[in-house]
Amino acid sequence: MLTLSKQHTPAGRRYVLRTFAFMIPYALICVAMMTTDAFDELMGKPAGWALAAAVAAPVVGQLWATLALMRESDEFVRMVTAKQFIIASGLAMAAATFWGFGESFAGAPHLPAWLIYPLFWAAFGLVAPFIRSSN
Amino acid sequence: MKNKLKLLRAERNWTQEQLGQALGVSRQAVNALETEKHDPSLDLAYRIAALFERPVEDIFENPHA
Repeated sequence: MLTLSKQHTPAGRRYVLRTFAFMIPYALICVAMMTTDAFDELMGKPAGWALAAAVAAPVVGQLWATLALMRESDEFVRMVTAKQFIIASGLAMAAATFWGFGESFAGAPHLPAWLIYPLFWAAFGLVAPFIRSSN
Repeated sequence: MKNKLKLLRAERNWTQEQLGQALGVSRQAVNALETEKHDPSLDLAYRIAALFERPVEDIFENPHA
């Protein structure tokens, strides 16, 4: 959500810092899971749930950061941010629904559910530059 | 919503940033108001009217009139 020049206001600067604070641990854990065997021994054990929660926590944190941005910003930024979030979420959910039913009924290869979060950000990056109006 | 915000701001030689600071909103919000990409809330419309010492309908064209 770095569009709309959010970094130009104090609330926007706080949002950018919070985003980095949540994104960096999320990305580090994801990269470590995909590229190393550091977490392999956790598979099938209760600690695996702790790892899953550790990756999900920054996602919740990002939700808080977005709500904080909206609370600390003026009405225009608040409305545009809400529109961007709703459209990106809707697109990500639509894509996940499409693929999920594709797996069930059309033989599409399985994709892990955690991809919905990167998918949301991809959708956000695509739509945000075009959402510049609150109307 | 059509408005005279840009004209009123220009009369005072204010930048969008300065007007935003006076109103307590971002420069982006001022720009969105001037380019009719944002319809202000009643609260913001009254703040603008108070700042320029004019009635709201003098600044914003009533689309329902």
